[in-house]
Amino acid sequence: MNRVRLLLGKDLRILWRSPALLAVLVAYPVAIAVLVGLVAGYASAKPRVALVDQDGLPRVVELGGQRFDIARTIRRVSDDVALVRLSADEASKQLRAGKIVASVTVPSGFLADLRGMVRSPRLELRTTAGGLSSRVTQQVQALVYSLNRQLQGAFIAANLEYVELIRHGGTGAFLGRRFEILGLDGMRRLLEDLPPGPRLDRLRTFARTASLALDQTDEALQATANPIELDEVREPGRSWVLSAQVQSYALALTITFLALMLAAGATAAERDENAIGRLAHGLTTLGQLVWAKVALAAAVAFALGLGITLSFGAVIELGQVEGGEPWARLPVVLAGVVLAGASLGAIGVLLGALARDARTASLVALGVVLPIVFLGLVPREVVPAAGWISDAFPFVHAVRFFGFALYESSPWEALLGEAAWLAGLGGISGIAARVGARRLLV
Amino acid sequence: MACGVARRFGSKTALQPIDLELREGETTALVGPNGAGKSTLIGLLAGALEPSAGRVQRRAGTRIGWAPQRPAHYGRLSARQNLEFFARLQAVPRPTDVAARLLEEFELGADEEGSSSNLSVGMRQRLNLAIAALSDPQVLLLDEPAAALDPRQRRSLWARAGRLTGSGGAVLFATQALEEVERFADCVVILLDGSLGFSGSLAEYEHEHADRLFA
Repeated sequence: MNRVRLLLGKDLRILWRSPALLAVLVAYPVAIAVLVGLVAGYASAKPRVALVDQDGLPRVVELGGQRFDIARTIRRVSDDVALVRLSADEASKQLRAGKIVASVTVPSGFLADLRGMVRSPRLELRTTAGGLSSRVTQQVQALVYSLNRQLQGAFIAANLEYVELIRHGGTGAFLGRRFEILGLDGMRRLLEDLPPGPRLDRLRTFARTASLALDQTDEALQATANPIELDEVREPGRSWVLSAQVQSYALALTITFLALMLAAGATAAERDENAIGRLAHGLTTLGQLVWAKVALAAAVAFALGLGITLSFGAVIELGQVEGGEPWARLPVVLAGVVLAGASLGAIGVLLGALARDARTASLVALGVVLPIVFLGLVPREVVPAAGWISDAFPFVHAVRFFGFALYESSPWEALLGEAAWLAGLGGISGIAARVGARRLLV
Repeated sequence: MACGVARRFGSKTALQPIDLELREGETTALVGPNGAGKSTLIGLLAGALEPSAGRVQRRAGTRIGWAPQRPAHYGRLSARQNLEFFARLQAVPRPTDVAARLLEEFELGADEEGSSSNLSVGMRQRLNLAIAALSDPQVLLLDEPAAALDPRQRRSLWARAGRLTGSGGAVLFATQALEEVERFADCVVILLDGSLGFSGSLAEYEHEHADRLFA
């Protein structure tokens, strides 16, 4: 164990005396983590959608006696998508070029159909086969849903005015024609003046029952239009950038890059420096050398993991963001960081031993680490095979471990499972690395 | 002692089975053209390489110093750090003091804290030799040790080797310089294409084989 400690100390000293290498090793994975974050963030960014207005929608439209501010409605929709007004030709051109992900066309006659209330006006949505098309379709469906809700409100209000006319009588208008209506109240007043009799009683009962029934129309219409209401309540939880997923991925991704590349480079460097022969000349065993490199990966992962976790915790603390366990579970997270670093370090040692020189080892490590990380980012539900392959590498287990450690209220069973995965994969890689390390002596 | 020691690298045979014994108080020169297997044989004797066949026997507790042809130390560490690291790894008592002494003896003190990769070729070779000398070895295995040294350092090297054999130690050195063989060797081993071409005393080598073997 003393020799492993000496080798580890030597490697840490070499790393300390290589500030440029150290900076690259820290900055590179952090930069990759940020880039992946940005790409992932694009999933929640606003897609650009064209609005082709062939009907010349006015700024304000009056429907069912209510005024609709079209500009305000569009602004409201722009919370979800970046809506840009384009001509039909330009929209078509930009859609083909991929500059917009969809176009929504308001055909001529749309407003007339809307005002006529005889047939449903139609909007035309055109999308491409790109990855965002389903999302845009959902957002445009949400837009139509939102418009329909506002229109329903207007139509219900208009219909209720007619109901009020039926109840109380008065002057109304329909399709531009004005009319007078007696109403149930007027009918009851007329019936008061007529001589009593069974037929008159039946008419009075009808008028009273109809009036009571129509009194419930308002709520009934609202309930029919919206059988299920969705109440949205915003909690003061973490924003996307400080979410559990981002923190877990940032930690795992940084450690994966760092541990794998560092262990691979440090292992191959023993041969590059011609020191492997001197070490093998009775000073250390290959097993001790593998342990030392695994320990190096774990130690540096610990330092970087601690930095990232403390930074996240500080930002969360300063921002008074609620949710998660940034401090109480810090030791658990760091234990996971060490385990993941060691597990990935073992793979790195294997790669370094197989590559045999530091430059090739770094390239091979980079070539291996990218698919491991990107496979881990593919949702298992989308590509099951990617999930199975990912399970064979420590990255996804590290992501899950950090996720459980930071945010689950009772994570212990799940943590043990992921720790077992990390230890098992590390053990297998370590044995393979010990066998592969013989190549360093050739 | 090497008994039928051979080494292959993949399908290539670098060294045919060879028997060799290093005797106390003797300096043995290992000579042969490039690619003859000299470095492979020294690496096998040092234990840096595993033999494909045969075995290397060492007397229990024998301290062996090895200086490979290409200096073996860490370029990012200073000369002092290299010496201290290898001293600790060899469990040398008072490693810091020993490192300081060797820095002085091998005249490495001028830039002892700078990265050893920035040292001159000659200084790197001196560091290589200093590491070999860390454990106060009884057997020194030197692979072309004088190639990058200036005349003064060469004299110092051979004086050190002479002191070792004078105190009952053994030295094996590989070289291409025949004058070094003639001046410092007691015995000569000649390798040709991975095979033993000659093994005997310097007198036998000079009178019987030298011209023929290097013709």
